Amino acid sequence: MTACSAACLPACVSSVWFVFPRSRTELDERPRPLSACLSRRGAASPCGGNRSHRPVEPRRRSAMLTRVKSAVANFMGGMMAGGNNGDHPGGSDLPLKYPYSRPEFLGLSPDEIECSADHVARPILILKETRRLPWSTGYAEVINAGKSTLNEDQACCEVLVVKRRPAGCSTPNRTSEDLTFHYWALFDGHAGSGAAVVAARLLHHHVALHLQEVMEILCSPGLLPPTCLGEEAASLRGAAGAPGSPSTPPTRFFTEKKVSHESLVIGAIENAFKDMDVQIEKEKSVYNISGGCTALVVVYLLGKLYVGNAGDSRAIIVRAGEVIPMSAEFTPESERQRLQFLAYMQPHLLGNEFTHLEFPRRVQRKEVGKRMLYRDFTMSGWAYKTIEDDDLKFPLIYGEGKKARVLATIGVTRGLGDHNLKVHDSNIYIKPFLSCCPEVRVYPLAQCEHGADDVLVLGTDGLWDVLSNQEVAEAVTCFLTNCDPDDQHRYTMAAQDLIMRARGVLKDRGWRIPNDRLGSGDDISVFIIPLAYGNKQS
Amino acid sequence: MAYAYLFKYIIIGDTGVGKSCLLLQFTDKRFQPVHDLTIGVEFGARMITIDGKQIKLQIWDTAGQESFRSITRSYYRGAAGALLVYDITRRDTFNHLTTWLEDARQHSNSNMVIMLIGNKSDLESRREVKKEEGEAFAREHGLIFMETSAKTASNVEEAFINTAKEIYEKIQEGVFDINNEANGIKIGPQHPTTNSTLSSSQGSHQAGGGCC
Repeated sequence: MTACSAACLPACVSSVWFVFPRSRTELDERPRPLSACLSRRGAASPCGGNRSHRPVEPRRRSAMLTRVKSAVANFMGGMMAGGNNGDHPGGSDLPLKYPYSRPEFLGLSPDEIECSADHVARPILILKETRRLPWSTGYAEVINAGKSTLNEDQACCEVLVVKRRPAGCSTPNRTSEDLTFHYWALFDGHAGSGAAVVAARLLHHHVALHLQEVMEILCSPGLLPPTCLGEEAASLRGAAGAPGSPSTPPTRFFTEKKVSHESLVIGAIENAFKDMDVQIEKEKSVYNISGGCTALVVVYLLGKLYVGNAGDSRAIIVRAGEVIPMSAEFTPESERQRLQFLAYMQPHLLGNEFTHLEFPRRVQRKEVGKRMLYRDFTMSGWAYKTIEDDDLKFPLIYGEGKKARVLATIGVTRGLGDHNLKVHDSNIYIKPFLSCCPEVRVYPLAQCEHGADDVLVLGTDGLWDVLSNQEVAEAVTCFLTNCDPDDQHRYTMAAQDLIMRARGVLKDRGWRIPNDRLGSGDDISVFIIPLAYGNKQS
Repeated sequence: MAYAYLFKYIIIGDTGVGKSCLLLQFTDKRFQPVHDLTIGVEFGARMITIDGKQIKLQIWDTAGQESFRSITRSYYRGAAGALLVYDITRRDTFNHLTTWLEDARQHSNSNMVIMLIGNKSDLESRREVKKEEGEAFAREHGLIFMETSAKTASNVEEAFINTAKEIYEKIQEGVFDINNEANGIKIGPQHPTTNSTLSSSQGSHQAGGGCC
């Protein structure tokens, strides 16, 4: 029902889905035949499965993470919870990995979750007065105006402690403390809530696993990441250097690229996204994990904020009223050239139904032989070409702005899940065009001074569809300056205020914000993270 | 759990009159003397029985502070019942009732049942608003009235249940269109399991009657 109702939206409603001119609107939710590469054993692991490229038994390694107990408990809970979430009637018969819920930190009862799904009054859920998130982070969310039964956004906020791997590893043998990192994440699901729910429960564990691999290097600020583990001594001293004399400047016999600590963290986040996506794919053979989701992740580690984004959510820093964008959206328009190039290199992915070229509008048969404006993957500008029969196929990328779609199906080009997503009524898979790789930006938090009103705002696209960066910055700054600075709920109240501004109020002609502008009918989730806490920590 | 009907309530009134405490007393049967300020909306739910039917009350507890008024207003829509609460020991909370009532009438559906509640009846020595004044206000505006104490639980059950009875009667009279969820009433997913064939056929008959 979710996918169907989403697909049946009028074109004016912002949504990842699109009313395709050839009525390619419904999504095929039938489980894919079990392919030989999917491992059942891998599917049963709570933290990453048996990834072939990672030889260490994941269960044993993950046990070193303090949070892993709850992950296992959740996993067991997920196994017990069978049945369908009502999300996809007629969909998979497989059990859910995790039951549908709202973010864990909200601590909602089933009754409260039922209340929250009121599409008529659209209550803004906030962090309860009795609860606190790290750094006094504020959080608020609201459900959509009826495009899907459930709120398909998910969120997670955790402080994780990564423990050192036991002795016997070939990493530098020095004593290092535990590595603590803060984690905030927003996921915006589509075509079902499954992928977002799973990612909200597990992605941080993948981040922790990857950080664990490099934690001893990260914990030694003076040590450049060794090019080859186990040879770090040689690498530092030079091949002929005398052992035991670390003060001797290293003599190098060949040029070597220097890799920063920061890049190791970025790599860890990127690989965590990849592993999460692989895990979802594997576990689809034993669980019903519906749809896909975007992921916007913030990691605070050793004085720096890392913002990783795959999808169309957005993060901005508001510092002294000024906006610093911390992410960019990945949409058919912003990724057009990557998608066109892929289709050009691998035309079979288009199933002989689409053309990788872009035209300003659909080409008509009577126009064959005429010259028309077009764009290829090599171009950001436009040129003319003579129209051939092949150009009559539907364009790989079609539509403008929020309505732009890849393969007439999806409006967001990076994220997790969507492995079963196909072009309606065809065997053309969308997934090859989607990337799970985040763009990670770094903000040197500890090096900057921050006041109590300087914040990092994370929002799903429901927020940014109707409010500009500047409007959000002004609203947050205005709210916080009029707030008691000692009120520990001020950031949650600011988040509630932002959602109220984006949702608007229900008038005769739908949800409206001031000046009769259209309010957002989408699910909206917002984190407001005060930056001054980062200074206090370091 | 199966229910015949679900009624949505909203609790409104000035800050500090005891809205959250009334809800807690009704849903958890306990009193919390120090309660955090409600800064948005909180929910409670409880099953009650009227006329042998299981009815689920879904209760929205709102923020009373002026600064949250526009958010609170947006929650009136889709409520079948409202508890409008004042504090009998604070005259100003009684004086503000007209504003609350105007707000409620303007933003809710016209059939919403409103129960006026004078809370903190246990604090007789500090009383500033006479019971008769509450009764007169209720009579004048067509509301049901009760004095309650969230602390001693006096009349708390009655306040919630009498409101439900009034809504239930309106359903029987066909005043509410129960098929329109914007009225704050939902027909249960299943009717009570006992003599299911009989009650479900009755239920569908009533549903048909309601929409005519």
